[in-house]
Amino acid sequence: MADQAIKMRDVTKRYGDFDALKSIDLDVAKGERVVICGPSGSGKSTLIRCINRLEVHDAGSIEVEGVELSDDDDAIRDVRREVGMVFQDFNLFPHLTVLENCSLPRIRVRGTARADAEDLARSELTRMRISEQADKFPDELSGGQQQRVAIARALCLQPRIMLFDEPTSALDPEMIGEVLDAMVALAEGGMTMICVTHEMGFARKVADRVVFMVDGRIVEEGPPTTFFDAPREADTRQFLEKILGN
Amino acid sequence: MTDASVSRPPPLLDSRLEILKKRLFSNWFDGIVTLVAGSALVWIVVSIVDWAFLNAVWSEAEASRCREVSGACWSVIEARGRLVLFGLYPSEQHWRSTLACLVIVLTMILSCLPAMWGLKRLPALWIAGFGTFVILMYGGIFGLSVVTTEQWGGLSLTVFIFAGVFVLGMPMAVGLALARRSKLPVIHWLAAVFIDTVRSLPLLTILFAAAVVVPFVVPHWAQGDKLGRVIVAFAVFYAAYQAEIIRAGIQSIPSGQEEASQALGMSYRAVVFDIILPQAFRNTLPSTINQVVITFKETSIVTIIGFFDVTASASAAVGRGEWGAYYVEIYVFVALIYFVFVFGLSRYGAYLERRTRLHHG
Repeated sequence: MADQAIKMRDVTKRYGDFDALKSIDLDVAKGERVVICGPSGSGKSTLIRCINRLEVHDAGSIEVEGVELSDDDDAIRDVRREVGMVFQDFNLFPHLTVLENCSLPRIRVRGTARADAEDLARSELTRMRISEQADKFPDELSGGQQQRVAIARALCLQPRIMLFDEPTSALDPEMIGEVLDAMVALAEGGMTMICVTHEMGFARKVADRVVFMVDGRIVEEGPPTTFFDAPREADTRQFLEKILGN
Repeated sequence: MTDASVSRPPPLLDSRLEILKKRLFSNWFDGIVTLVAGSALVWIVVSIVDWAFLNAVWSEAEASRCREVSGACWSVIEARGRLVLFGLYPSEQHWRSTLACLVIVLTMILSCLPAMWGLKRLPALWIAGFGTFVILMYGGIFGLSVVTTEQWGGLSLTVFIFAGVFVLGMPMAVGLALARRSKLPVIHWLAAVFIDTVRSLPLLTILFAAAVVVPFVVPHWAQGDKLGRVIVAFAVFYAAYQAEIIRAGIQSIPSGQEEASQALGMSYRAVVFDIILPQAFRNTLPSTINQVVITFKETSIVTIIGFFDVTASASAAVGRGEWGAYYVEIYVFVALIYFVFVFGLSRYGAYLERRTRLHHG
């Protein structure tokens, strides 16, 4: 069990009459890189938002690093400390500088002293190759730069798992590369990653496993070579044709 | 650039005159309007200068000339100005009132400095400020004679009421705004009903109730001082309006901000104080300054329940006797006092807006 980072069993999520997730089973091993893809509305985002309880699942169980997600707020905060998340719209704090964006959560969540938190923030910003922007405010940066700051901010808490919710979907095409490069570097460092993305090049290069969802179900999953070169399901083939433009 | 434009640089003054001419006299109707409005303006300015400066009497010693001249009789301010500034406060103790007023103004100015903004510093500053004020005004220790709040008055009372209302009202407003967006229906509902009830009552009624009705319905030990009750009631009124301003500010923040801070594992307290409220205040700065300015001016309403703030003292100063004819001069004086404070507040508001814009250009 110790090798398991995430264990989802029979997870269901409803919005009114709409079933966003239907009986999802998903295990993610420590250090594993999973890419989740699928047509829009298939429940990809809902699924990863359930992992840090931004969405509350209605049935089934979710265990993250051995902690079961329930109404226990302390347990949820423990889990969130270990799970970093990167959003489509970056969601940087506009009233704080880049450095403060990275150091303040560390100070508040882990109780780190300000000077230490700032050192840590600077080193994560350096890792994301954006340290020269430390004293600027988010809206002075390009989208690609903002997203790299957002990754640095999440890394400052030294999480064991990173979730990416379509991190390049809101970016201009010329900025997608810099963000993907940062994510590849992160993956090479051994981070457990779950990534919702349509960047199939990234999936092929980095993923240990690709999970394909349609209508709230996992339809097909497998290593990228099998998934891209020999998809079993008709839905998968159709989706890949559309997204790869063949 | 053509040769013509290089060889003939446009004379700046001429072109400005051209523009003025075009805007003000483009046809006969515009011309007439400009002439009429222009002469009215000139007449008003000349009359004011004539009244306030050229034909005015300045010192109390010359007060006898007031009846003869057509201009202002500023002698009244030398003669009655102390009453305006100090109300019924015993005249031999006026230095205490002056000092107390300066203490509150200084506290206000200090708390406007970004260096003082902190959840520990700001309360400490205000406790020290109010403490010093009350010791100076009320006395009873350090050999100062006791001056009860019924005798407080004038500018120091106005400033004290305003500061008290703001300092009590702002935390209340934050609490109400947060309660109103609570996920617990009871708390949400209670806050909404409270805000709507207070907003549907006139300020005057609320102050009357606090001053006059409370002594009948609340046991003696819980009544407190009349001035204290009035300030608390006024603060509740202010808080109801300010809470709605803050709520609007909170609603204008994208939901991603709260999600991101939650995803980072931040506590409710940290999310609210570090992420939500700073942005909410930033977004609503103009309306907050507006509300604060309105509140400052509305402090004059305490006149009705028997407190002699600046406005009430002013009307008392010219109410009876020899100076009765010169109420305009006294009210101009009072208006200038209000103007200094309100102008200061709005300049400070403009500074804050510039400051936040600089950070988010």
